[in-house]
Amino acid sequence: MAVAGGTLEHEHGAGHHEMSDALYEEIRGHRLLGFTLFLISDCILFSAFIFAYLYLRNTIDHWPPPGIEGPNLLFGALNSVVLFGSGATMHYALESWKHGNTKLFYRWLGLTLFLGLWFLLGQGYEYSDLYYRQHATWAGSIFGASFFTLTGLHGFHVFVGLIYLSVVWLQTRAGVYTRQRFFGLTAATLYWHFVDVIWVFLFFLFYIF
Amino acid sequence: MAVAAQHSPLAEHIHPEPQGFIRKYVFSIDHKIIGIQYMVTGLIFFVIAGCLAELIRTQLLNGNARFLTPDQYNEVYSMHGTAMVWFVTIPLVTGGFGNIIMPLMIGARDVAFPWLNMLSFWLFPPAGALLFASFLVGAPEAGWTEYPPVSLQGPPGTTLWCLAIILIGVSSTLTGLNFMVTIFKMRAPGMTLTRMPLFVWAQFATAGLNMIATVALSAALSALFMERVFGVPFYDPNHGGSPILWQHMFWFYSHPAVYIFILPAFGIISEVLPVFARKPIYGYKMIAFSSVTIALLGFMVWAHHMFTSGMAPWLQLPFMILTMLIAIPTGIKIWSWMGTLWGGVIHYTTAMLFAMGFLITFTIGGLTGIMLAAVPADLHEHGTYFVVAHFHYVIFGGTFMGVLAGIYYWWPKVTNRLLSEKIGVLQFWLTFIFMNLTFFPMHILGLEGMPRRVAVYAPQYTDMNRFISISSYVLAFTFVLLFINMAWSLKYGKKAGPNPWGARTLEWMIPSPPPYYNFKNIPAVLSGPYDFGSPLPYIGLEEELEKAPGGGPLPAGAH
Repeated sequence: MAVAGGTLEHEHGAGHHEMSDALYEEIRGHRLLGFTLFLISDCILFSAFIFAYLYLRNTIDHWPPPGIEGPNLLFGALNSVVLFGSGATMHYALESWKHGNTKLFYRWLGLTLFLGLWFLLGQGYEYSDLYYRQHATWAGSIFGASFFTLTGLHGFHVFVGLIYLSVVWLQTRAGVYTRQRFFGLTAATLYWHFVDVIWVFLFFLFYIF
Repeated sequence: MAVAAQHSPLAEHIHPEPQGFIRKYVFSIDHKIIGIQYMVTGLIFFVIAGCLAELIRTQLLNGNARFLTPDQYNEVYSMHGTAMVWFVTIPLVTGGFGNIIMPLMIGARDVAFPWLNMLSFWLFPPAGALLFASFLVGAPEAGWTEYPPVSLQGPPGTTLWCLAIILIGVSSTLTGLNFMVTIFKMRAPGMTLTRMPLFVWAQFATAGLNMIATVALSAALSALFMERVFGVPFYDPNHGGSPILWQHMFWFYSHPAVYIFILPAFGIISEVLPVFARKPIYGYKMIAFSSVTIALLGFMVWAHHMFTSGMAPWLQLPFMILTMLIAIPTGIKIWSWMGTLWGGVIHYTTAMLFAMGFLITFTIGGLTGIMLAAVPADLHEHGTYFVVAHFHYVIFGGTFMGVLAGIYYWWPKVTNRLLSEKIGVLQFWLTFIFMNLTFFPMHILGLEGMPRRVAVYAPQYTDMNRFISISSYVLAFTFVLLFINMAWSLKYGKKAGPNPWGARTLEWMIPSPPPYYNFKNIPAVLSGPYDFGSPLPYIGLEEELEKAPGGGPLPAGAH
């Protein structure tokens, strides 16, 4: 009967929730590809806004426009170090999980959440400096439009990432992942690294370029 | 057996069919039901958008008609274009045909992410409701392209328009992602990439376009939304923005979007022609790879829509050349299809007639596309009815002829009933003749200088406009024939059985309509699906048709 593969016998008896390793691997493959494609399309979203920023920036001679200093390079650099640091701690968190060291995993994950939150607070400080001292508003100029839209979109991704990592934390507490099966953790890590990499480009484009 | 080693554990894992009306027909996760939902919703929007087209044609019966006010006229053609592009064509060819047929063709039990598929569909009706709700507050008036600054000053409905297109865009992106994983990961054992049916190749290329281009459109629309609602300056030159920026971002999506329409239609044609010519498809690999080439080139030509927008002359040349290059993969397809017909035993069924009609009307649309790609000609023709004629030949003469061929071809698989060939053949001839009578004169009007998107026109265009309008009423009537045929078939149509056409792709190897789980056994695939005259290249299908309604033995597939 099973010459080429599937049969019609339902596997929905007692053992439904204990999927075989082979089945898990197959589903994991689908999800990994699907998640990667999602990140690629998200990358296009950022690229489109970056294109808009470069296009608008190219229409005027001086950037930032007269009257606006723009974000502070040193502060931005320090804040970036915080975010990149969180990428490193997330990497160690995943590695700890793979090695079965749960205690270390929670420490690294906690540190990641802390650094992510720190980055967002730093960004909040930067925004308030631009808004109150430099009077650069979102709707005020093409500088405000591109800076606040792009860094805001990125900040929103960081915010979502913090929620995502917190959910993963709760899931590990609830025993959703095992040492062998932890795709949700892998996906969260991929997402977090993705957000880091986007920031590399944004930092270069807004602080250095 | 060697193939047994490749079997997929997921394919063995069959979920029980959900019971209850809601889970079965409303919030279904079955790709076939979702596909039917897409088709029905898409056809409803098609009727609405078609009525809008007839309003346009009624206004144009007279050069200074008072049937619609100029503002109403602007609303009507903007909504006609918007609805036809995003709410009819794309959902029909990807969400509709793609969902129903593609997983069956690759021997899968469903798409990779059924729940995501359900979400994709359920973003579609609310998006449509949002779009048409804009009539209540003043619908967008700047055409389906909504160029700023006009769209920035447009009525409040323009904001709803942005939201509706963002929603339907997210839906398309998710469908693209879902299909990509499905085609990459869930093909039956032995179905290598070059053994996939060409419709699957077309869906594959389309999924890539949907996944990438649509997101860029979402970015452009979000920026327009932010500018309209919060005054964030992206496009308004008074505040430092640039209207040309919108055109770049919009066309970076919307040019690939025309390939989102047409590639699945290419796929349908590539299935229908060999079946009714009883001959292997000619140039399989060339057709498959040319789909991918078209998809890639489609990303590099967007600025050919902007030759008159004030772009640097040195930039016009590469866009012109790249655009003309697309004629090569497209020409390869046309010649391959003609090669398929050459020496074949042609059966003139309705589906085949539409496919052959497609070859003619699409080629006309393609040729005028090359004319428009040439910068000197475009400077003259841009913004005239010549452009309207061109894209209606491509979208109606191309995509919609493909869609109609697909409806007549796969209807028996979905409903287990045949459509009436008598009504079908009558519909084909009326559609084909009146499609040409409606859209061909627009070329001439355009070359004579009649501008598009204007509610009135100079007296010398009156006769031809009346001719077009009257032809368009008959064209609309031909769709009444289609709906009558569908209703008749559901009640009185002849039982089709699993494989009424003697086709060889996998969807015809199982009962009509296919059961919830599609295949009892996932078959092994030994070669491509087009070798008419050879034994069927599938192993493991012996039990499929045991209890099929009107079952019987597998048709040999050879003529």
